[in-house]
Amino acid sequence: MKAIDLVSKTEELISPGISACVGCNVELSLRVVMRVLGPNTILAVPPGCMGGVGVVGWDMKSGAKVPVFFPLLDNPASMLAGIKLHYDRLGEDVNVVAFAGDGATVDAGFQCLSGAAERGDKIIYICYDNEGYMNTGYQRSGSTTKGAWTSTTPVNKEGIGGKMQNKKDFPMIMAMHDIPYMATANPAYVQDMVNKIEKAKQVDNGLAYIHIFNPCITGWGVKSEESIEVARLAVQSNFAPLYEVENGNFKLNMNPRNPKPVKEYLQKIKKFSHLTDEDIEELQADTDKKWNRLVNLASL
Amino acid sequence: MKFKSKYIVPVGADGIYEIDTGKWRTERPVMDKDKCIECGICAMYCPVFSIIKEDEKYIITYDYCKGCGICVHECPKDAIDMIPEEGK
Repeated sequence: MKAIDLVSKTEELISPGISACVGCNVELSLRVVMRVLGPNTILAVPPGCMGGVGVVGWDMKSGAKVPVFFPLLDNPASMLAGIKLHYDRLGEDVNVVAFAGDGATVDAGFQCLSGAAERGDKIIYICYDNEGYMNTGYQRSGSTTKGAWTSTTPVNKEGIGGKMQNKKDFPMIMAMHDIPYMATANPAYVQDMVNKIEKAKQVDNGLAYIHIFNPCITGWGVKSEESIEVARLAVQSNFAPLYEVENGNFKLNMNPRNPKPVKEYLQKIKKFSHLTDEDIEELQADTDKKWNRLVNLASL
Repeated sequence: MKFKSKYIVPVGADGIYEIDTGKWRTERPVMDKDKCIECGICAMYCPVFSIIKEDEKYIITYDYCKGCGICVHECPKDAIDMIPEEGK
């Protein structure tokens, strides 16, 4: 399917009025994901931004036109594994999908996701990585970039502070589970995202995982209209590369010939405004190291 | 609104939960059809899918548009402008 045809040829399955922030690109990702997956889907949205904005509904009303669950922060994958087994027994082919934030994937929900990946449960797990617990007030998570301001890693007036630890390279962790399909996606590259969701839909021998990198407007301090541009800069600077792993084979989807410096991406974001040149150099070196590792893996 | 599901779980007994996000808007995007080349990039990036295609032409609907300005920023031909909403 062409990304341009999403508007005219697919059905909207999410409530048109959800209270996501103005310019939120997670909302865009969710709508694209659901439009591609279609009505034959069961959705689980654990606590997080998309749970909070009303996709799971309120009272007796639902926020989606498909069955939508509100699992705990730490059990979406194992709950969906059970649902999938039930439909397998009934002989019905249903897409069983989790749309979880990075808190429910990288931190709290990791044990059940890892278990489901190892057991080979036939579910699709989609993580929208906005680098923190953005729904509850921008607390740090395992996925937050080193040096970033969050409400639990504050920065003082002299510009000292921010997260001290490295970002967990979660797509790589999932790839190393040897699952049939793992991919990273980005809201600025909708066509690429559509292709990857379609591939994940075809997987029938295990878990498919998609990691979407979503800059957060409110929490990171990005202008609402630059939402997509910042996401695009993350790919162009190799900070959040686009790649996929099919049955253990790495493939780069985007290989910028002249990658932009990471500084260009960091400058757009307020949570990095206190970083010194040395901090930026360190992040650049870290980005280059991870990119070279990825290129080596893709050339195997 | 009525949705009957073939699944065993109830799908919103009282229908769909929605918020009138059109009221949030302080500026509205307006498309200049003389400059527009119908590429569809604005519609592809609209987080609310407020830009729809009718008779092979893209038009902006304002029911749920939050006024984020992504369409203005991403338009390759600068065919969309933000103008302030009246009374805000």
